[in-house]
Amino acid sequence: MRLQLGRFLVRRLAQAVLTVVCIAILNFLLLHLAPGDVADVLAGEAGAADARYVAELREKFGLDQSIAVQLGRYLWSIGRLDLGQSLRYQMPVFRLILQRLSPTLLLMVASLATAFVGGLVLGVTASRRARSMVDNVISVLALLAYATPLFWLGLMLIVLLTLKLGLLPAGGMYTIGATQTPVAHALDVLRHLILPATTLALFYMATYTRLMRASMLEVLGSDFVRTAHAKGLSEWRVLYGHALRNAILPMVTLLGVQVGSLLGGAVVVEVVFAWPGLGRLAFEAIFQRDINLLLGILLLSSCLVIVVNLAVDLLYTRLDPRIVLD
Amino acid sequence: MPRRDLWQRYRKNRAAVLGLGVFGAVAATAILGPLFYRRDPWAFATRPFLWPGSRPEFPLGSDAMGRDVLAGVIHGAWVSLLIGLTATAASVGIGMTIGAFAGYFRGWADDALMRFTEVFQTIPNFIFVIVLVAIFKPSIRTIVLAIAIVSWPPIARLVRAEFLTLRQREFVQACIVLGMSESRIIWRQILPNCLAPVIVLGSIMVATAILVEAGLAFLGLGDPNVVSWGKMIGDGRGSLRTAWYLSAIPGMAILLTVLSLNLVGEGLNDAFNSRLDRR
Amino acid sequence: MRSLRPVHIRLVVMIVAVVALSAIGFAGAQPRRGGTLNFILKPEPPHLQGAVSTADPVWQATSKFHNGLLNYDPNLNPVPELAESWQVSPDNRTMTFKLRRGVKFHDGHDFTSADVKFTMEEVIKKFHPRGRTVFAKLDEVQTPDRYTAIFKFSAPSPYVIFVLNASETPILPKHVYAGSDPRNNPANSAPIGTGPFRFVKWEKGQFILAERNEKYWDAGKPYLDKLIFRIVPDASARAVGLESGDLDLGGPWPVPMADQARLGDLPHLALEPRGYTMVSSMLYLELNMRDSAFKDVKVRRAIAHAINPAQLAAVVWFGSAAPATGPISDKLTRFYSPNVPRYEYAPKKAEALLDEAGLKRGVGGVRMRLTLDAAPYDENYLRSGEFVREQLRQVGIEASMRSQDAPAYFRRIWTANEFQLNLYGISNTPDPTIGVQRLYWSKNIISGAPFTNGSGYANPQMDRILEAAQIEADPQKRKKLWDEFQQFAMSELPIIPLLRLDMVTIMNKRVKNLAAGGLGIYDTFADVYVER
Repeated sequence: MRLQLGRFLVRRLAQAVLTVVCIAILNFLLLHLAPGDVADVLAGEAGAADARYVAELREKFGLDQSIAVQLGRYLWSIGRLDLGQSLRYQMPVFRLILQRLSPTLLLMVASLATAFVGGLVLGVTASRRARSMVDNVISVLALLAYATPLFWLGLMLIVLLTLKLGLLPAGGMYTIGATQTPVAHALDVLRHLILPATTLALFYMATYTRLMRASMLEVLGSDFVRTAHAKGLSEWRVLYGHALRNAILPMVTLLGVQVGSLLGGAVVVEVVFAWPGLGRLAFEAIFQRDINLLLGILLLSSCLVIVVNLAVDLLYTRLDPRIVLD
Repeated sequence: MPRRDLWQRYRKNRAAVLGLGVFGAVAATAILGPLFYRRDPWAFATRPFLWPGSRPEFPLGSDAMGRDVLAGVIHGAWVSLLIGLTATAASVGIGMTIGAFAGYFRGWADDALMRFTEVFQTIPNFIFVIVLVAIFKPSIRTIVLAIAIVSWPPIARLVRAEFLTLRQREFVQACIVLGMSESRIIWRQILPNCLAPVIVLGSIMVATAILVEAGLAFLGLGDPNVVSWGKMIGDGRGSLRTAWYLSAIPGMAILLTVLSLNLVGEGLNDAFNSRLDRR
Repeated sequence: MRSLRPVHIRLVVMIVAVVALSAIGFAGAQPRRGGTLNFILKPEPPHLQGAVSTADPVWQATSKFHNGLLNYDPNLNPVPELAESWQVSPDNRTMTFKLRRGVKFHDGHDFTSADVKFTMEEVIKKFHPRGRTVFAKLDEVQTPDRYTAIFKFSAPSPYVIFVLNASETPILPKHVYAGSDPRNNPANSAPIGTGPFRFVKWEKGQFILAERNEKYWDAGKPYLDKLIFRIVPDASARAVGLESGDLDLGGPWPVPMADQARLGDLPHLALEPRGYTMVSSMLYLELNMRDSAFKDVKVRRAIAHAINPAQLAAVVWFGSAAPATGPISDKLTRFYSPNVPRYEYAPKKAEALLDEAGLKRGVGGVRMRLTLDAAPYDENYLRSGEFVREQLRQVGIEASMRSQDAPAYFRRIWTANEFQLNLYGISNTPDPTIGVQRLYWSKNIISGAPFTNGSGYANPQMDRILEAAQIEADPQKRKKLWDEFQQFAMSELPIIPLLRLDMVTIMNKRVKNLAAGGLGIYDTFADVYVER
C-alpha cells in the first residue's frame, strides 16, 4: 500500500510538472501577443514625451529581445523557483503575491466553508422531505441564487446593508490607520469580510445545495439504505451515519473543482468590494501588461488546483474504500 | 429515440415546462422584438433618468443618456442569446471532437488529449477569459471565442467517458467486424448516443456563457457597438442609488434567462434519465 | 464733564467685550491641529515621484512629501515656497531665487542650493516627461552660495516661472539621488523630501500612510496628524466611501458623473471646483491627418458641425464641462482668444459640406465609415465616444467604436498610428507652449510616445507661429502669437476641441482650507485641517 501510494504520488507529480510547464508556455506566448506592453503603460501614465524614454524602459525590462529568448529566460527562472520582478511595482512577484495571499485565503476559506456547510445542511433538509413545500422553497432559492449575476448581488447588498442600514463597511479589508489590539483587529477584518464572503458564498451555496440534494436522493433510494431502515436504525443514524458518507463524494469533488475557479470568480467580488486579493491583482496586472506578475499568479493558482485535485483523490479513497488509487 | 415519448416525460416536470416557456419568451423577444418595437437603443430619445412607467412611450424608462431602456433590453436579449448559443456551440464542437478522439482511440492519443484538457481546466477560467478578450480586443467574435476556449473541457470529459463505455458495446463491435470505417463509427454510431448528456450540459453552459458575458461587459470588456444586458448593468452602476432600475431591470432579465435555461436543462436530464431507468 | 457713573462703566465694558468677542468670531475659526485625512488616490500609481512622471495620482501624492521652489495662488500668481524671493531679468534669460534657510529634508539633511542645481540639471532636464522640452533652454543652475540659485537660459523661457510647484518640479535631496538612475531610485516609492508629510509605509493595493513632518519649515504646520492615501480602484466603491464618511476627499471626478450631483447635495459633502486651473483639461477629437478620409478640410469641418458640445456636456458630463471654442481653455485668460472660426452645431451644414466633398449618402444612408477610439481609462471618455458616434450617424457617418485597454490604446494611436478618430482628454497646463504646442508641432511627431502629436499634423506656418511663441519674452507680443495660433488651429482643424472639462473635487465638509491656494488637491496640504 505504501509503495502504491508512493508510485502514485511520483507519477502525479511528474504529470503536474508537465502541466505547469505547458501552462507557463501557453500564457507567456499569449501575453506576448497582446498589443502594447508595460513600457507603453508606464509611458502613457507618466505622460512621457519621447521615444527614448520608452525605449529605455523596454531595454530595462528585457522586452527588446526576441520572444524565444525571453521565453527561455522565463522558463529557466521558473525552474529555479524564481517568479521574477513585477514590471510595474518593481518588487519580487513572489513577495507581492504573498502580501495578497492571506486576504485571498481568508475570503476563499470563509466563502467556501459557508457554502459547503450551508449547502450540505440545506441539501440534506430538502432531500429528507422531497417534493414538499420545504424542498420547493429551498430549490427555488438555490436556483435564484445561482442565476443571479454575482456583481449585481454584491452591489445590491452594499446598497442595502451599507448605504441604507449602515451596518457593514462598504469595502476594503480593515479600517486604515487605526491602532488596534489583535482581537479588535481580527473583529474589524471579520466585519469587512462579511459582505464579500456572503456574496460569493450565496452563489456557490446554490450549487452545493442542489448537488447535495440530488446526491442524497440517489443514495437514499439505494439498497443499502433500505437495508439499514429495515434493520430498524433510527432515521438520524441512517441519514448522517450511512447516507451522508456516500452522498458527500460528489460534493468533495466539486469543492476541489471550485477551489480552482474561486480565484477567477472572486475577481468581480474583489473589484466591487475593493478586497485586496489575488483576483484583483491579476485583473489589474492584465491591463498593466505586468506579464511577470500575471504569469506568477496564474502559475501559482494552477499549482493550487493540481494540489487540491490530488488531495481530493486521496480523500476519496478514505471516504469510499471501493475506490482504489489508479 | 421517440420524440413524443421524450416530450411526455418532460411534461411531467412542471418547473421544466415553465422554464421552457420563459426561455421561449426570451427567444421571441430577441428575434421578433426588434421588428415590432423599432426604437434604436442608442438613440438619445428623451430626457435622462425617466422612471419606468412615468411616460407610456417609454415603458421601462430611460438611462443616463436618455436612451430607451426597453429597446436596450430587447437588443440585449438578442446579444445575450447570440453569444450564449454560439459560444456553447463552438465549445461543444471542440469538446466533442476532442472527447470523441480520446475516448475512441485511447492509448497515447487519449493521454495527450487529456493532458491538453487538463491544462485548460487548471488555468483559472474567468481570468483566462479576461486575458483573451483583453489581448484580442473586445468584440462579439473575440468574446464568443474566449468563452468557447475556456468552456470545452467538461464536454470533452463527458464525451470521452461516454465513448469509453459505448466503445465496448456489442453494436460497435459488430460494426468493426463488418468493416465499417472508423469515422463512420465515430460520427454515425457512437456520437448520436452521447447526445443526451451533452444537450443537458449544453443548456447549462448557455446559461453560464450568458453570465460570463454579463460579467465581462460589466467590467468594461464587452463589445462597444452592441447593447448587452451586462453593459446596461455596468452603465447603471454609476447611478445605483437614484436610478437603481437601470441595473435591476437587465439584472432581472439575466436572472430569468439563466433560470429558465437551468430548468430546461434539469427537465431534459430527468426526461432522458427516466428512459435509462426504464430499460 | 460729568464723571462716568459705575453703571456706565459696566455698560461700556460690556459693549467692548461683545464687540471684541464678535470680532474674534468674525475672524473665522482657528485651524484645528490634529486628525487624520483619508485621501483617495486613483488609480494606484507605480511610484510617488513627480520628477519623473506627470501621471495624475503621482501629481497628487508627490506634493505632500516634497516642496517646489514656488507655489501658486488661485490666479496662478507665484508665491514663495522653498524660494523666499525671486527676480527675473528683463530679457527673461536669468532667474535668481533666494532660498529659504533652515529647511531640512525628512532624514535631517539641510536643504541648500546644491539640491536645486542637482534636481534641475540631473533629474528634471533629463528624465521629467515635460522637463526635457520645458527646460530645454536651461543651460545651467548657478549656485554662488548655499541659499541662492540662478537659472541661466540660452533663450527666453517665459513659461518656466509657472511650473515650479511641488507637483511639477519637486526639489529632490541630492544626497539620496546623486549617482543613481532617478527613475529607479527606491526613494521614488518611499519619498524623502522637505514636504509637510513624512512617508511611513505603502501597502500595495490598499493605502499609503504619511505622518506630520514635525520639523516642517512652516512652523505650526501641517495641521493634520496623519494623511492616508486610500487606494480604491472602483468608482462606485469610492462613492460609497465618501457617502459613509470612510473617505474624506478625492478628485478629479472621483465618482461616476451621475452620482456627483447627488453626493454634492448630501449635508456632509461638498463639490469643490477650484484648484484645477493648473491642469485645465480639455476634451479633443483628434483626426488622423495621415488618413485620406480627412484630406479635405470640408470633411473635418463637417464633423465639427455634426457634434453638439453643449448636449455632450449636459448628457455625459452632467454639466461638469462646457463647450470649447478652441484648443486653449477660456479659463487661461492670459492666452485665450475668442476670435476664431466657429463651428456651431448644425447637422444640415455638416451634410451640405459632406455633399460638397463628394461623399453622398449611399446604401443605408451611409456616406463614410470611420473607426472611433476613445481613451479607455476613463468611463466618461467612453460615454463621450458613444455620444459622438450617435451624432455622426445622424449625418451619415458610420463610426464604429473599437474597444481596447490602455496599453493597446497607447500603442495603436501613438506608435502604430492605426486610427481615424481619437477621442481623449489632455491637460492644457498653465502655459500652451507646454500643453498645446505638443499636439500641433511637426517636430513633436514621435512614434512610441503617448500624448505627442498623434494626428501627424505638419504645417510650416503652424510651426513658425509655435516656435516664435515659445521664445517670445514680451507678454503682449506672445499673446498676439497665441491669438494667431488659435485662429489658424481652428481653421485647419486637425483636432476638433469639444469641451473644456471642469474638474471637481468631492470633499467631506470637515476638510477645511483646501482651496486656499491655487492648486487644490495638488497642493502640499500644509494648510489643510479637519474638524471634529
